[in-house]
Amino acid sequence: MERIMNKLSESVLDKFSMDFLRSQVLKNAYGNDDTVIAALDPRILIVWYLFFGLVPWFVNDLPFLLGCFLLVMVTTLLARVAGLVLLLFALGVFSQTGYLFLATLLFGGDASAIAPLLVLTLKVATISLASVTVFSGLDPDRLSSGLMWYGCPERLSFSISYAYRMLPMLMEEFQNVLLSYRLRGNPPAHDTLRGKVRYLIYQVKIIMESFYPLMLNTAKRSRTTVEALELRGYRYAAVNKTVKKIKLSTLKVSYNDLLFLALSALWVALCILCSTLF
Amino acid sequence: MSAIEIDDLTYAYPGAPQPTLSHISLRIEKGDFLAVVGNNGCGKSTLCKVINGLIPHFITGEFQGRVRVEGLNTQESDVGTLAQKVGYVYQDFENQIVRPTVLDDASYACLNYAFPDYLERGKAALHQCGLEGREEEYIWQLSGGQTHLLALAGAVSMSPDVLILDEPIAQLDPMHADRIYEVLRELNRKHGKTIIVIEHHTEYIADYCRHVLLMKDGRVQWLLPTGEALQHVEELEACNIFPPQVTQAAYRLQKEGKLPSGAPLPTTVEEGRTAFSALRCRPGGAAAPVARSAEQRAVSFRNVSLSYRSVKGEPRSIFDGLDLDIRKGEKVALIGSNGAGKSTLMKLMVGLLRPQSGTVSLFDEPIGAKKAEDLSRQISLVYQNPEEMFIKDSIRADIAYAMQVRGMPDWRERTDALLERFQLTQLQHRDGRLMSGGQMRRASLAIGVALEPGILLLDEPTANLDIATRREIMGVLEGMKDIIQTAIIATHDMQLVCQWAERIIVLWGGRVVADGTRDEIFAQQDLVDLVGIRPPEIFSMARQLDPRALCYTVDEFTNCFQEA
Repeated sequence: MERIMNKLSESVLDKFSMDFLRSQVLKNAYGNDDTVIAALDPRILIVWYLFFGLVPWFVNDLPFLLGCFLLVMVTTLLARVAGLVLLLFALGVFSQTGYLFLATLLFGGDASAIAPLLVLTLKVATISLASVTVFSGLDPDRLSSGLMWYGCPERLSFSISYAYRMLPMLMEEFQNVLLSYRLRGNPPAHDTLRGKVRYLIYQVKIIMESFYPLMLNTAKRSRTTVEALELRGYRYAAVNKTVKKIKLSTLKVSYNDLLFLALSALWVALCILCSTLF
Repeated sequence: MSAIEIDDLTYAYPGAPQPTLSHISLRIEKGDFLAVVGNNGCGKSTLCKVINGLIPHFITGEFQGRVRVEGLNTQESDVGTLAQKVGYVYQDFENQIVRPTVLDDASYACLNYAFPDYLERGKAALHQCGLEGREEEYIWQLSGGQTHLLALAGAVSMSPDVLILDEPIAQLDPMHADRIYEVLRELNRKHGKTIIVIEHHTEYIADYCRHVLLMKDGRVQWLLPTGEALQHVEELEACNIFPPQVTQAAYRLQKEGKLPSGAPLPTTVEEGRTAFSALRCRPGGAAAPVARSAEQRAVSFRNVSLSYRSVKGEPRSIFDGLDLDIRKGEKVALIGSNGAGKSTLMKLMVGLLRPQSGTVSLFDEPIGAKKAEDLSRQISLVYQNPEEMFIKDSIRADIAYAMQVRGMPDWRERTDALLERFQLTQLQHRDGRLMSGGQMRRASLAIGVALEPGILLLDEPTANLDIATRREIMGVLEGMKDIIQTAIIATHDMQLVCQWAERIIVLWGGRVVADGTRDEIFAQQDLVDLVGIRPPEIFSMARQLDPRALCYTVDEFTNCFQEA
C-alpha cells in the first residue's frame, strides 16, 4: 500500500515538474495554431467573447445558460486547449461554487439547493470557457493584433507577445535556480506527518527565495534587450501610424469568420426560443 | 572611400572618472573585414557602440570628436537612420531576439521602420544567413548557432553597409563557428558589406579577417593587415591576445634558433607547411596506453532511454538504450556537437531528469532511491551559466550556503579556505552577478566543490571566456585535480580536452560513438569528420607534417619537431 502511495505521489510530483509546466505553457500558446479557432480573425473572436463573457452575468434563465455552456464547450474542444488549463478551469469552477453545494448538504440542505447553485456554476463556467477559447485558442500575436485594432496601445500588445517569448526562458532559468537549492540545500526529513508539513513549508520558502536571483538575472539580461529594441526601432514604431497600418493589414475577415458568428448567433437564438417555449 | 571615419574621439561613460576611449582617430575602408582585439575593458565594445550611434544618443556621457559612418555624422543623425547603415549583433545575442518566430524576428526591425516589404526583406536576410526553410519555426527550437544566425539576419534585414559582431563564436562549437564565419565571408565578398568583429580567436582572424585593430587602454595601438598584425607576437601576448598556435610555435622555434630568424611567421596551417618543412618529427616516447581503471563504478547508465516532450507532434528521443560506466578517479571529457545530449546526460546524473526507462546509478545505487542530502554529497553540478548558481547576495554566502544549512561545525573556516583557494577573498562580499566572467566562473567552481562531492560535473567551464581567462580557468581546473576524485566536463573546447582529460567520450546523436584516450580519439580521422569535433590547430599542423605525430600543445610540438 505504502509503495503504491509512494509511486503515486512520485508520479504526481513528476507531472508537475517545471519541465511539464513549461511544455504546457508553450503548447497552450503556440501548439494549436492549426485549429479552427486559431484560424479565425481575432477581432471577430473578441466581439464574440464580449458577448459570451458579459451576457451570462445578467441572465438567470437555465436553458439559455445551458445552451451557452454547451456552445463554449464545443469551441473549447475545437481550440484544443492544453490539459493543464482545463484542469485549472475545473479547479476554479469547483472552488467558486462546487464547495457551496457540499457545504449545503453538510449542513442539512437537500437537493433543492442544486438549481440556484447550478445557475451560478453555469455562469462562471461559461464565462471561463469563453475566455479559455479566446485567450488560449489564439496565439499571442494574433490576439495582440486584434487588441491593437480596437485601439489598445501598442505597448500592451508588444508586452503580450514579448511575455510569451520570455516565458520559456524564464521557466528554464527558474528550474535551474531551484535545482541549485535542491543540490545545495538541506531539506527537512519528511517521513512523519510533521516532517511532511515542514517539508512543504520549506519547499514554498525555496520557491519564494528563488525569485530573487531570477529577477536579478532577468534584470541583467534586459540591458541588452533594451538597447537592441532601441536599435531595432521599437520606440520609432510606437508612434508611427504607418507601422500600425502595416501590422493590421494582415487581419482579414473571411467566410469562416462570418460562418462562425452566424452559427453562434443561430444557436443563441435557438436557446432563447427554447427558454420561452418551456 | 572609408566606411567609417573617426577623428579625435574621446568618450567617458556618465560618472566615470577616466575616459573609456581617448583620442581615437581611425579610418575603416569600405568592404573591409576587420577584427578588433584587445584586453578586457580596453574599450572595444564601447568603440562599436559609438559607431552605431547608441553612444551618444542612447547612452549619454562626455563625447568629443567626430564620427562619420558612410558619410553620416553620428551626432547629427538619429539611431533609426544609423540602424539602416550599421547592424549590430551582441555577444549575448539571445537577448536581442524579441519575437517568437524566426521570420517575425528577422523582419521585426523592417516592420518597425515601416518598410512595406518587410516580410520579403526578412526572408532575404534569412536566406543570406543560411536559415531558409526555418521561417515558421519558434526561436526556442533553434540551436545556439542558429539563434546567432537569426540575430545576424535581424541585423542584415535592414541591409546596412556595416555589420558589427561582438564575439560571435564565443558560445559555439567549431562547426557552428565555421558556419557563422562562412556566412560573414559571403556577406563581405558577395554583398560588399563592411564587417567588424570583436574576436579573441586568432585562428579565425588568420583565416577570415583582412585587417586587425589592436586597442589598448582606450587607444588605438595599430591597424595592420592580418598577416602582418599576427607577427607582433610579444605585443599581442602583452594584451592577453594569443596568436594562432602555429604562429606561437614558429615564434618559439625561431627564438630557439631552430627556424631561421627574420622569416615571416606562419599564421595558418597552410603557411605552416612551408615554414616548418625543414623540420622532422623526432619520435618521442609514445605514452603508454592507460590501463582502464578497475575502481568502483562512480556513475553507470543501464539501458537508459529518454525523450523530451515537444510542443507539437511526437516527443523527441535523446537517448535510446544508453549504456555507460564512469569509474571512480577518472577525469572524463564529454564532447560532441551542440544538441548531442551532453547537458541532458549531466541532468540525468544529478536526478533533474528521470529516464523513461533504464537506470542511472551513482556508486552502484539507483538515483531514484537516494535522499537529496546523500545525492549532494556524492555529486555536484557547475552550470554553464554561473549566474544561476548565485542564490545569495554575496559569493561568500553562496559558497557557505551548502555547508551552513548542513550545520558543519567548521563551515566558517572552510569557506575562508575555499575563498582563498579560488582567489576570491577580496571579492567575498560582492554579488556574483556583478563580477567579471572569470571571477564568476571561479566562484561557481568554489560553490561546486564546497561539499567535497565524489563526482564533479562541469558544463562548459570555459565557454564565453576570453582566451586569457580561459587559460586561468584551465589552471584552476588543473589545480583542482587533487581535491576532486571523479570529474566530468562537457565542452567544445578541445584545448581543454587535450590538456585535462584522461578519458574522452564522444556523443553523437544520443549514442556513445567513441570512448578512449586523446590519442585514440583524435587519431581517427573518420570519427573526427563524422562528429564534427576539431582537434587543436597545432595537432592538425603536426599531422600535416607527419601523419604519425600526435602533439596537443605548442610545447609538445616544439619538443617533437626538430631540425633534420
